[in-house]
Amino acid sequence: MGGKPEACPPHLGPCRPKGEAMQEERFPGYRWLPYLLVAPSIAVIVIFLVVPFVQSVRGSFFISTPFGTKTIYVGLRNYIRLFSSPDYQNSILTTLAFSSFVIIIGLSVSLGIAQLLNQKIRGLGFYQVALIWTYALSPAIAGVIWASMFAPATGLVPYIVSKLSGGYVLNWMTNGRIALLVVVAAATWKMLGYNIVFLLAGLQNVPKALMEAARVDGAGPWKAFWRITFPMLSPTTTFLLFVNMLYAFFQVFGLIDIMTRGGPGNATEILVYKLYRDGFIHLNTGSASAQSFVIFFVISIGAIIQLRVATRKAIYAR
Amino acid sequence: MLKKLKTKLTGFFSLKNRINLCPKHKWVLVGLAVLLSIPTVSVIAAEKVEITWWHAMSGSRLKVVDAIVESFNATHPDIELKPLFTGTYAETLTKFIASYRTGTAPNLIQVYEVGTQTMIDSEAILPVYQIPGMLGEAWDWAQYVIPITNYYSVEGNLWSMPFNSSSAMLYYNKDIFRAAGLDPNKPPTTWKEMEEYGEQILASGVVDHVYSGGWPGWIWEQTLGYHNHLYADNDNGRAGLAKKVVFNDEFGHMVFETMVRLHDKGIYIYGGPEYAANSAFKAGRIAMLIQSTSSLTGILKASEFEVGTSFLPRFEGYPIGNSLVGGGSLWVTKGKSEEEVRAVWEFLKYLGQTEIAIQWHKGTGYFPVTNAALKALLDEGWFSNQTYLTAFLEILSGRRDTAAATGARLGPFVAMREHFRAALEKAIAGDLSPKEALDEAAQKMNQLLKDYAELYGG
Repeated sequence: MGGKPEACPPHLGPCRPKGEAMQEERFPGYRWLPYLLVAPSIAVIVIFLVVPFVQSVRGSFFISTPFGTKTIYVGLRNYIRLFSSPDYQNSILTTLAFSSFVIIIGLSVSLGIAQLLNQKIRGLGFYQVALIWTYALSPAIAGVIWASMFAPATGLVPYIVSKLSGGYVLNWMTNGRIALLVVVAAATWKMLGYNIVFLLAGLQNVPKALMEAARVDGAGPWKAFWRITFPMLSPTTTFLLFVNMLYAFFQVFGLIDIMTRGGPGNATEILVYKLYRDGFIHLNTGSASAQSFVIFFVISIGAIIQLRVATRKAIYAR
Repeated sequence: MLKKLKTKLTGFFSLKNRINLCPKHKWVLVGLAVLLSIPTVSVIAAEKVEITWWHAMSGSRLKVVDAIVESFNATHPDIELKPLFTGTYAETLTKFIASYRTGTAPNLIQVYEVGTQTMIDSEAILPVYQIPGMLGEAWDWAQYVIPITNYYSVEGNLWSMPFNSSSAMLYYNKDIFRAAGLDPNKPPTTWKEMEEYGEQILASGVVDHVYSGGWPGWIWEQTLGYHNHLYADNDNGRAGLAKKVVFNDEFGHMVFETMVRLHDKGIYIYGGPEYAANSAFKAGRIAMLIQSTSSLTGILKASEFEVGTSFLPRFEGYPIGNSLVGGGSLWVTKGKSEEEVRAVWEFLKYLGQTEIAIQWHKGTGYFPVTNAALKALLDEGWFSNQTYLTAFLEILSGRRDTAAATGARLGPFVAMREHFRAALEKAIAGDLSPKEALDEAAQKMNQLLKDYAELYGG
């Protein structure tokens, strides 16, 4: 047999061996070696992901003292408390509002900018770098920048607003809606660079011939965009949708911690921030474990829907 | 043997031999891989007693900590103290909990005042009052400043060593007072005056807002303690685990409504959870600031105007209590060797030495914790600068014999403070009326206290 792969259509990549017999032949005398080689990765996954996951699922059925001196089984009480708590319901709504804002505004603005960047103009390199570098900032720095821009008594933005409107006090530390919008703006801005890079790459992969053909056929720029560019971008958009969802759910943590700490009131307390506060500041591990399971559940569903539906619809024409 | 292994090793990576190497040899490779992956363990013959200290002092405070530790190590050749900055107070406590549960806890840890009950209930701590007896020493606990030790004492016994203690006071901008036609040497002493001065300053148009503050939950505790008003039942949680909060009565509602009213008039501008309001004061955009005394050094350095300090304003006609001690203290981990405890104790004694306590006070603005250091500072004329004196006089001026004036000690205190902050934010945003907001916070806090009592069987 000689271990030679069977001939297969090139677009499918190298063929996978079928059945045990083939595997034996690929590594004769090394039956366990492949397992040994993947063992470190598996070990890392088990130790750092699976075990803590199982522990936190278990922990969600208990309440315990911070130092673990006493643990009481409470059944589903942590979950019941969670879902009957107005604070948690509020946190769910905030998270939904926050993430949809970040995803929708972020992606559409980035697409617009990427479209503008995808043309031949003088100083293109400068514009590209100027629009992309925000991604290189750490969330803490971005948070400090936005927080000081909007600082109620000393910030530039409240000053301008007050001068323009004749005395309106823009205080995001006391107005929850404004706080949410400011955090959304900061989070969107922070992610802009990342989105632009991917969308720009996607745009540059749209074959020029198609666009030219469309033009010859009499399609205006608007129509050409929706009928050709947008569908051609769908693999990139699908990927970015999921990445941005993860970003809006988890990675904005740093921004929120620096800027609002979930306040004012609970106006910017998204799920992951509430989890952190309950678990690590208030030392209520039972409730935090229950919350982590809820978030896991929500994200899994989101991921499944996205991968199932969006991937099927995405057009992979290269 | 080694050469043989080497040929096998190179052989393994060449394609031809990979196919032919017999199964027996692969175990040699496996063994080698495992051996290589074991981290090298080096054993150091240690003559010095090594002790570790986790703290939350960053920035300029970290430099003072490092200087003190360095001089301690230099004067104690048999001890090696290793300090480690472990993040904010909350992060430090979380790390300590994780490390204690895995048996890798440091010898000494700095905990903020709200974590006091958590530490007392932790079963992870050796109370400092027991240490001298354990080591066969006698120790005079009266040498420490009493309002500070009271805060960290259970039934008169000191559980943690006072380290960085602060209180809250009123800072004001004398230049703005002058510009508004007020006497720069007459800061407001009552909340009625706060309001009157506020209106006058606003009318003068010098600034858009008159005062702000940090740490809302802590300032709330200060205001209650300052008027000898209890925060929670069971003597503020000092006679036993507290069952419910008692601040949402006539007095509490009046205070809370005053804060919201001053906000609605534009006199008060909400300044966020910690030190965010300081920048507005330093920039001269507000006339007054209610903030921790530990901000004094930073404010004096950064302000280009004449800074005045004063006691917190009072509500007239209510009892007099004391302003409360905040900041942090040092806790000794249980279950370490006697040798290590002795080394830790040496360090704790060292911190109380007059010149070290003074170095700490001057470098950071935290209170000197011993009476001797206080006296030395007085003799030296340090307090002739009135701004420094205010802070210290404040905690010494009131009564110290009631639980209300000592401050609350509650299990879920951190979360409770958050609820207060949320209530204030909701009330000044107009989402809830002041009364509704405070009652809602009280109700949530009572649930936390109930949960805590359930866990600790109180």
